[in-house]
Amino acid sequence: MLSRRTFLGTLAAAIPVAALVRRAHALAVDDITASPRTLHALAEVMLPAEVGRAGTDGATTNFQRWIAGYREGAELLHGYGTSALERSGPTPATRWAAQLDALDAMARKKGSPSFAALELDRRREIVRAELTALNADRIPPVERAPHVALALLAHWYATPDASDRCYEARIGKETCRPLASSARRPMPLTVVRT
Amino acid sequence: MSSSVKRTVVESDVCIIGSGISAAMVADRLARTTSARIVVVEAGDEAPPLGQRYALRDRYLQYGESPWPNDHLEGYEIEGPLQSRSMQVGGLAMHWGGVTPRWSPEDFRTRSLFGVGTDWPLSYDDLEPFYQEAEELMGVAGEQGPASMDPRSKPFPMSPIPLTYNLTLLREWTAKAGITMWSQPVAKNSRPYGGRAECCRNDTCTPICPIGAKYSPDFTWDRLRAARRITLYPRTLVRKLVLDERSMRIAGAEAVQRTRTDTGTPVEFRAKRFVVAAGYVWSAHLLLLSASSRTPAGIANRSGTVGKFLTGHRNQQAFISLPLRLFPGMNGQHSLLSKQFMRTPPSDRYLRHDLRVWESSFGRGPRLRADDGTLMLGDDIMRDWRARTRTGVARVRAYYDVVPDRSSELTLDTTRRNAWGDPLPKLAFRDAPESAALRDYSIATIRTLFESMAKAGNGTVLQTVEDDGPGWQDHPAGGCRMGDDGSTSVVDRWGRAHDHENLFIVGAPTCVSGSCANATLTFCALALRSAAELARSS
Repeated sequence: MLSRRTFLGTLAAAIPVAALVRRAHALAVDDITASPRTLHALAEVMLPAEVGRAGTDGATTNFQRWIAGYREGAELLHGYGTSALERSGPTPATRWAAQLDALDAMARKKGSPSFAALELDRRREIVRAELTALNADRIPPVERAPHVALALLAHWYATPDASDRCYEARIGKETCRPLASSARRPMPLTVVRT
Repeated sequence: MSSSVKRTVVESDVCIIGSGISAAMVADRLARTTSARIVVVEAGDEAPPLGQRYALRDRYLQYGESPWPNDHLEGYEIEGPLQSRSMQVGGLAMHWGGVTPRWSPEDFRTRSLFGVGTDWPLSYDDLEPFYQEAEELMGVAGEQGPASMDPRSKPFPMSPIPLTYNLTLLREWTAKAGITMWSQPVAKNSRPYGGRAECCRNDTCTPICPIGAKYSPDFTWDRLRAARRITLYPRTLVRKLVLDERSMRIAGAEAVQRTRTDTGTPVEFRAKRFVVAAGYVWSAHLLLLSASSRTPAGIANRSGTVGKFLTGHRNQQAFISLPLRLFPGMNGQHSLLSKQFMRTPPSDRYLRHDLRVWESSFGRGPRLRADDGTLMLGDDIMRDWRARTRTGVARVRAYYDVVPDRSSELTLDTTRRNAWGDPLPKLAFRDAPESAALRDYSIATIRTLFESMAKAGNGTVLQTVEDDGPGWQDHPAGGCRMGDDGSTSVVDRWGRAHDHENLFIVGAPTCVSGSCANATLTFCALALRSAAELARSS
């Protein structure tokens, strides 16, 4: 039996009518937003533990916002040296919603009521198997991620927070910062490693 | 178009076609120094106002969306390497990097000094006051380089953008390699200037500065419009320049005011003087489109060189791993600059190039697979990322100059037409034989320099690339070449068309050659010099 998410994904793929696709996108966003437990449980698998509960919550919420804000057919930055124009592709929300559904379905096969109810190691096994099956070999641009786990990962690793954690310094890339302070070595960031 | 459609006529003293950075320089100078009635005509739409730019930047960062939506005309897919599809009030300088080196004195005399290329009909000294004027108009923050490499008569308007911690370390490294480098001059505010904010390192100068710390022409247009010194017509495409019936003067410019629903309303601009300031593509394109029975090869084209000698430069760049603890993201678009290699060829073979150095995170991003192919999740990704960023990476790039061939050209493409039936341009860049013969030597010499730089810092060249696409050159210019001889050039040393006393072509298209450094400041200086002559001869 098709779940609601799978049905929506199938519908959006099968009937490429703009209004219907927009509706499917909106429903998928609603679905992901209304029950974020699976997404949150996935974030615990994908992100470093040091971000903690608050960091995982923030990453999940920001990713949900990203999905909600996605616009199909938007004009993309046109580069130099060409007159070609590009537009954004179909919404990934329907596909990702279906993948979240599939994670729950796999958990149920393992006797758990949901993906979120599984121990972290068991969740990790499932995700690893999914990404291996997809031959995932790199962190893609968010919108092109073939799996919601990679999308979530790509979204967080592009943030100033991720960069600051990596360098253990308060760099704050792409944020508004005093010009003069750039001459100094960035202040250290204390990372609590788990 | 139906003949029953009413044609609007707009009269002025000076009609400027195009609203990019060169047009803004001309309008600004004329507004300051004359009482001329000035009209500016722009094919594209208004750019989004400053207040919307943080939101537009956010969409760009989050989704890769263009922060300048609808900055183009539909149906303008052309053959050849167009620099940018962008067409809006402010032109390409709405999304430029704001990088403003002056060219070197040698750029204007390569034939006399090195036996290569063509000398310009003007010298660096002729242009120097206009470089200064352009820097003051835009607001350039710069550091004075060694006087022998970086001659200037007055200080920069603003102190330099500070070197980041990263760039300070990288400058120490280049010094070990025997290279003198300093802070790249930029049209970005190191302090509040011209009513605009100080740079706060948002680091998206290209494609969008959200606070107006980087100069863009919309600020000039806003000021001149507020002062009622110009009238600007957006969404108005000039299709043809028309000759006076009894002379070779330009009498008018036939245009169409675009609408979203149909092909638009015809407008005729009549003026005492016309200034074509539409960049290296659309300037020559308009002149060729303006062919008539009296000028069958197009306006200003007695020499047959309109659209010819398109010029620019190419680059080689390398990513060099260094045993330095760097922190990418501190001000990533800012760089070090050296003009050490722009002075004289290092050997008997001709090669001149600039040199710039940036912080980089090339090859140092987070990754999914470890070296052994293991899929990583959670802590493993961050642990791996940290381990790989203990040492830093520098991006090093050299622009080297290319001597253009006459066949490096823009022509009319009769197989592709716009909505009004006008042929679109077709572009092809070609090196002069003397330049083509030097290409391999140029690349090899620059790569050897990169290797020696890496060695001086106990580093390794990770990758060397040319980031120009096939057939493409950086900072393109030319197409309406200046010269003293009307049989071999389109405009004189002031930008006045040899064939039409009241027609000026300004900025990029008038360049004889493209140097080996970013070109916009030179386009601006040339445009201001043309404006000075225009005002003088009014």
